[in-house]
Amino acid sequence: MIGGVWVAYRGEAFKLLIQRRTWLGFATAAIGPIVYLLLELTQGPPHGPLTNNLGHTGVGFALVVVKLIAVFGPAVIAALVAGDIVAAERADGTLKTVLTRSLSRTELLIGKLLALFTYLALAMALFFVVSTIAGIIAWGFNPLVNISGYRISALHALGLDIVSLLVYTLPVLAIASFGVFLSVVTGQSVPAVGGTIIYAMALQGVAAISSLQAAHPYLLTNQLTAWHDLFQTPTGGALIVRAIWVSAAFALPPIVAALVVFNRRDVAS
Amino acid sequence: MSVAPSAPPIEAHGLRKAYRGRPAVDGIDLLVRPGEIYGFLGPNGAGKTTTMRMLLGLIRPDAGAIRLFGRDPHGDERAARARVAGIIEEPRLYTYLSGRRNLKLLASYDRAGVGPEVIEEALEMVELRDRAGDRVSDYSQGMRQRLGVAACLVRRPQLLLLDEPANGLDPAGIRFLRRLLRDLSARGVTVFLSSHLLAEVQELCERVAIVTAGRIAYEGSLDELRARAGRRYRLTADDRPRAEAICAMTDGISDLSVSHEQIEFAVAGDGALLRLTRSLAEADVVIQALVPEQLTLERVFFELTERPSVEDPVMA
Repeated sequence: MIGGVWVAYRGEAFKLLIQRRTWLGFATAAIGPIVYLLLELTQGPPHGPLTNNLGHTGVGFALVVVKLIAVFGPAVIAALVAGDIVAAERADGTLKTVLTRSLSRTELLIGKLLALFTYLALAMALFFVVSTIAGIIAWGFNPLVNISGYRISALHALGLDIVSLLVYTLPVLAIASFGVFLSVVTGQSVPAVGGTIIYAMALQGVAAISSLQAAHPYLLTNQLTAWHDLFQTPTGGALIVRAIWVSAAFALPPIVAALVVFNRRDVAS
Repeated sequence: MSVAPSAPPIEAHGLRKAYRGRPAVDGIDLLVRPGEIYGFLGPNGAGKTTTMRMLLGLIRPDAGAIRLFGRDPHGDERAARARVAGIIEEPRLYTYLSGRRNLKLLASYDRAGVGPEVIEEALEMVELRDRAGDRVSDYSQGMRQRLGVAACLVRRPQLLLLDEPANGLDPAGIRFLRRLLRDLSARGVTVFLSSHLLAEVQELCERVAIVTAGRIAYEGSLDELRARAGRRYRLTADDRPRAEAICAMTDGISDLSVSHEQIEFAVAGDGALLRLTRSLAEADVVIQALVPEQLTLERVFFELTERPSVEDPVMA
């Protein structure tokens, strides 16, 4: 099983890397923060927690951009690839070609899922590297004032940046899992990509309903800001733990459902 | 995982598949022997492709059992497909990759660890080595068909399932394919060839199954099919219109047609011919010639596939 997943993963990762759409996602992840930085430089430093640091240090710049793109940025990047990952192969007929080889359907779908997660992780890493370097060039590598108003060293803040990006990636992966589910179930790219974006928007909409306040901490979109916990003094950790299990709770059901459907569905085209 | 060496390459019993209540495959049985080129013949929509998809594990049968070299492609998918390769309809490949890169990618999915020499050998066999570095999007349909066959060959299959492989091929391509399949068969590879083209099957296969409306209408050798499928005669008489009318009224005479003043008809059993000659004599119609016609396989094919229903398949 693990050998088969590894084989599928390598093949799927290769296919992803060779496609223009993937590089468009990478380009967006790299160019986005630079465009935002240029806007900041022309308009002056913004106000608000963490953003107040801009002008003094570039260390927290990646997180400032993350706050700005919150739900829709990663949702779009995840949806574009996740929604297509099975549907495009079904439409092109290459799915039946692959399914006549020596991989089981489970191995193939898990391989696709892991390749997708790798793509998203790489896009996030690229985003982090570009925005951090750009921020440091623009504003220097200096200490940062956290959300609680405490000053932390530049190196410490850089470490927290990395952990924050990892935490931020978890709900993004959960959104991508839903995209894979739609890709398997609909078998068509447009509904799968569009449906994933609508799903993220719907979650954001639910998060805006004040009467559901008690449920807000357990919504996926709220986990996109769980990294704030790392920039408070004292650092809690409860939000991070919750982000891990809530993201897993949102990711696993669509993954399991996708596996069941993918294994049972006839490949007739 | 190894395959059972003594088990037949394909064994299927009572295969059924319906789409929205309409049966596409309705109780098909198959037994394909090692090393043969087996023809799976039928008109479009007869259920050939659905059967092949079930054999390759792409769709699940509603009922029935399949064994490829003794393994169930739906329960034990990896083991069942270990030595099996196939193309359903036209080969679908990654058009944004080169031919060679397609083969490398698909070979990696086979987990057999084939080296570049196997890929080059497959490209050589399908005569695509010169164009292997080009993107598949630049290939003609015939080249894609050949690359699809190469993608099968890199698996080093013992069983090759090909669905209408001559589609889109020019005469040279068809001749090349026939040569390749004969070569493979000579090396011990079993070929299951589906086609609606009788000539293609006639050229390559000794045993066939003729399928129509999801059911097997005939299963056996082509020679026995010719012998068993009924006889036709050509009659020349001095009064053609009266002779034709008598033919039409005689029990056991069917499929009447007139060509160049000759009446052609099919005869079911010796009694019918006796009744006809007696009726003609009683009507004072002079028989100038009554000759048995050499049946073409094509006519047999149409007779079998254009029957309203196939209640009792002909088994050789």
